[in-house]
Amino acid sequence: MNRTSRRLLDLAPFLLFVTVLAIFGVQSPKFLESGNLVNIVVQASSTGIVAVGMTFVLLTAGVDLSVGAIMFVAAAVAGKMALAGWPLPIILPVMVAVALMFSACNAFFVTKVRVAAFIVTLATLFIGRGLGLRITETRAMNLPDSFLELGSARWLGVPLPALLFGGVLLVAHLVLTRTPFGRQVFAIGHDVEMAKKAGIRTGRVLAAVYLISGLCAAFAAMVSLGQLGAVSPKFGEQKEFAAIAAAVLGGTSLFGGRGNVFPGTLLGALLIQAIENGLVVVNADPYLYPMITSVVIFISVWLESLRNRTR
Amino acid sequence: MQPATNNQLQTTNNELLSFRGIEKAFFGVKVLKGVSFTVPAGGMVGLVGENGAGKSTLMNILGGDLQPDAGTITLEGSGYAPLNPQDATRRGIAFIHQELNLFPNLSIAENIFLTRFPRAGVTPFIQRGGMNRRAVDLLREVGLEIPPDRLVETLSAGERQLVEIAKALSIDARLILFDEPTTSLSERETDRLFALISRMRARGITMIYISHTLADVFRLCDDIVVLRDGEVVGSGATKTFTTEKLVSMMVGRTVSQLFPERRSLGKRGDEAEAGFATGAPLLEVNGVSQPGVLRDISFTLRRGEVLGLSGLMGAGRSELARILFGLDPRTAGEVRLNGEQLPRLSPRELIERGVAFLTENRRSEGLCLDASVGDNFTLVTLPQHGRTPLRWLAGASLKSAVERIRAVVKLDAKTSDSQPVRTLSGGNQQKVVLGKWLLRQPRVLMLDEPTRGIDVGARFEIYQLIHQLADQGAGVLVISSDMEELMGLCDRILVMCGGTLVDDLPRAQFDRERILRAALGTNQEAAP
Amino acid sequence: MTAAATTNHKPQTKNPLGWFLSEYLGLGLTVLLFLALAPFTPGLATSNNLLNILGYLLPLLIVAIGMTLVMISGGIDLSVTSIIALTSVVGAKLMTGDAGVPTIVGVLTMLALGAGLGALNGAVITLLRLPAFIVTLASMMFLSGFAIWLTQSKSIYGLPGSFLALGQRLPISLALTVVLALAAHLMLRRTVFGRWLYAIGQNATAAHISGVPVRAISTAAYAASGFCAALASVLLTARLETGSPVLGREILLDIIGATVVGGTSLFGGKGKIAWTFFGVLFLTVLDNALNLLSLSQFSITITKGAVILFAAVLDAVRSRFVVRSS
Repeated sequence: MNRTSRRLLDLAPFLLFVTVLAIFGVQSPKFLESGNLVNIVVQASSTGIVAVGMTFVLLTAGVDLSVGAIMFVAAAVAGKMALAGWPLPIILPVMVAVALMFSACNAFFVTKVRVAAFIVTLATLFIGRGLGLRITETRAMNLPDSFLELGSARWLGVPLPALLFGGVLLVAHLVLTRTPFGRQVFAIGHDVEMAKKAGIRTGRVLAAVYLISGLCAAFAAMVSLGQLGAVSPKFGEQKEFAAIAAAVLGGTSLFGGRGNVFPGTLLGALLIQAIENGLVVVNADPYLYPMITSVVIFISVWLESLRNRTR
Repeated sequence: MQPATNNQLQTTNNELLSFRGIEKAFFGVKVLKGVSFTVPAGGMVGLVGENGAGKSTLMNILGGDLQPDAGTITLEGSGYAPLNPQDATRRGIAFIHQELNLFPNLSIAENIFLTRFPRAGVTPFIQRGGMNRRAVDLLREVGLEIPPDRLVETLSAGERQLVEIAKALSIDARLILFDEPTTSLSERETDRLFALISRMRARGITMIYISHTLADVFRLCDDIVVLRDGEVVGSGATKTFTTEKLVSMMVGRTVSQLFPERRSLGKRGDEAEAGFATGAPLLEVNGVSQPGVLRDISFTLRRGEVLGLSGLMGAGRSELARILFGLDPRTAGEVRLNGEQLPRLSPRELIERGVAFLTENRRSEGLCLDASVGDNFTLVTLPQHGRTPLRWLAGASLKSAVERIRAVVKLDAKTSDSQPVRTLSGGNQQKVVLGKWLLRQPRVLMLDEPTRGIDVGARFEIYQLIHQLADQGAGVLVISSDMEELMGLCDRILVMCGGTLVDDLPRAQFDRERILRAALGTNQEAAP
Repeated sequence: MTAAATTNHKPQTKNPLGWFLSEYLGLGLTVLLFLALAPFTPGLATSNNLLNILGYLLPLLIVAIGMTLVMISGGIDLSVTSIIALTSVVGAKLMTGDAGVPTIVGVLTMLALGAGLGALNGAVITLLRLPAFIVTLASMMFLSGFAIWLTQSKSIYGLPGSFLALGQRLPISLALTVVLALAAHLMLRRTVFGRWLYAIGQNATAAHISGVPVRAISTAAYAASGFCAALASVLLTARLETGSPVLGREILLDIIGATVVGGTSLFGGKGKIAWTFFGVLFLTVLDNALNLLSLSQFSITITKGAVILFAAVLDAVRSRFVVRSS
């Protein structure tokens, strides 16, 4: 493979993103209006935040299928508390605590009992969804307006969900690229045995990665609550797949050790949302969305594997 | 030869490291039989020996990857018994291995400081500026002018090695161990490495240098320690050795008693010279090449011939067999089987034509470890037992095949057919792999290290099987690092060095020293 | 070799931990569960309820059989439920309306479509060397989207009576399932294909070197999984009397869970149709009993999750024990 095509492959996520923007931009000028672009970012926030946490897990060659369920439980608890009149400053930390409890469970079984991450998080997915249904009594809960207000609030002109997404992205990017922990995540993803030999405390790093994924799920639940203003039994459903898709679209390898949250996962999350948004703007058949999204995911995974094979 | 009396190096008062009676056995096979020697502070000791002499085991013990069964190590006057690699690091011992332990997806500086990142004050962040500056200093010391934030995957093998050395310097290593450091280096990179080694010596760093390239050992080392069959058979100042002496010490003479089958083989050898040398060509290899691996390999394997392939690790022996079996690609060359040119090499087609290949990695490539003995035996020949349109397996014929082959390879009677192969000893596992191929009744059998890690009794039986097969007219290609084995077993030996064939000896000309010299690349006449 | 020489090590029964290591653990647990719950669960042991359990169990078992084959080869197939949905609507579209094709043609088309889609999954995974997880995830999204687009999210009614009989007459679906399970079982135990499948899952490299056509066999496993999904779709579509683009959507995790609970390894090379049957049985009985105890959906889901986790932990501990004792 020559240099040019290698370079092109490296830029694939970015090129895909630009192509999508261009296609929809040509179809409908409305698509590229700043208002709509901001909309895309805001709509992508929830999935994007989960995807950031997922990126950490994928970088260690693991997977976390329980994020959607964790979002659901956290949201359900929040909904219950809100209806009981608790104030937001108490509800939000409780959501975080609930999510961390779940992901601590994941971390324990993955690192101590050494069960495959896929199974552990599949099981916690079930448990989480069941628990969420129990708390909500399988009914949709409409939340007080304070949540919706929070979701549409702006700070210095920036919508709050986008701000949170940006904040999570910034912190995650700094952690992954600038801290010892972040670099050790990459080392473990390359080869966990080699990392252990090199003296890295792999158990701790792996446990932390699942906790981070849970924490991100809690933040994503807050954003979704702010945007939907309600908790339905479908809350957070299939979020795990969307998050994996966004991370992989952004160039994160399913085999660990390669990837980044910025620009990778950000681009991935925005790309998925831009496609959906673009299809709405050009009045495409809404039933085409999932098909087009899955084709884009497939193409990007294929490109990613081509890129890895040249290494 | 008593090591204890013979192995004292000239300096003893300022020793940095000393081994005393180190013993280690794997599965009942003793690999180290009381190794003792000392390394003087600031000195450079060359450790030489044939493949399997015990060098790697000894170094793994030093590095904390293995623990000795008996014996002690003293480092700087105090006891040293590392339980893991970190213990070795803590005591200032660093290893530069043949295969490097760097993370390709991290930068040079990150690899150097992976577990000791400098922090920016009290923040959780890596002080990248400082880290990179220190990395630049370390890289300059090793003579590498590359930005420290480059990813390791973009570096050449030689550059990666220098990064490993920079890492060793970063922990203020007092003892650095090199294990075949020049195998994957170009000539220029080798020169650069040697210049660096002398600079480090000037700084008083003690080094142990393991290599098959004897010229390098003579050039670099003050003292030489020779290991053979897990024992120190000679040690002393470099100037007291000559290449001749070193080679004959490495080869030794005592081990031949471990090959009792030579008596019967002598007779067969004559027969082979008379009959099979003119036997029909079976496998003809012509000009097989693959850049960076093999260069223009041509040879012929005849019916009834046991052909040995000798050479050092990395000479391209296994690579040749893998290419012939269609596991790795080749860019040039043709292969004929029974005079018919093979258009495409793939395991399936070769097996159909009667070629078999026992790989060197028994566990990862030869066996399904969790499957039963019976299932492993019949894996290759399964289609023969399922010829109906539905590929229905004929239970009776399968069972009898397993029984037949068990008897042929003399599998331990206590072993049941339904037992997972994982639970067998190495020797029995190898018998299963061999049996799997013998059931196919191969016309060409390629064996890569067929007796590695196997005890003497099982070896003997495997040799017998190889002879039987050849007597029935098959051609056998044996790759082995054990020269005694090749000389005891083969009718002819090919020697490889650096991806080319450098020598071809019929049985009458078998000579350990000539083979070893050719393999080491010091045999000027034979080398291209 | 005979069927007695199993691919999996049978531990000594005199071992005090023998019951724990036994492959019939799943079945034992099911019986235990049934006996323990029967006295407290009105209606559990009635014939009506048992028939009910069976009706729910059969399609699940059929899909799980296909999943077992894929998992034995070391892969996973997340697209099964989408194949169920797509074949359901395609079959229903073909068989309804004025130009409706005969039932037999419709059913065969469904089965061929399922097998073809599975083969496509397999071909992409083996030829492009992509992870099964992501390929079948993408095809799950695509096929489900396609099914919804095809019907514009509407269910299709008016299926012919001869087709409905397939799902509503229990003997027919029972016979179909039994035949399929037996065929799969015998295929795994007694044919070249089955042995090759285990070998690929245990060590694909060794299998390749031993001349096993690794790509073709893996692809065939995915094709079989697609076929099984389509067959389950026939039963489900007929039972519900509708071609639905969201058919089977909620059973994906049940299928994977049941297969894993039965003892089939996610890492390949280990698994049996009997185990999968036990796993499906266990999950179905559990589900049914919890339903009858009028525990709500949430408790059922939680329990299922706990059971899967329990089975996984058991498997992890078990395999470590086996390794240590050898």
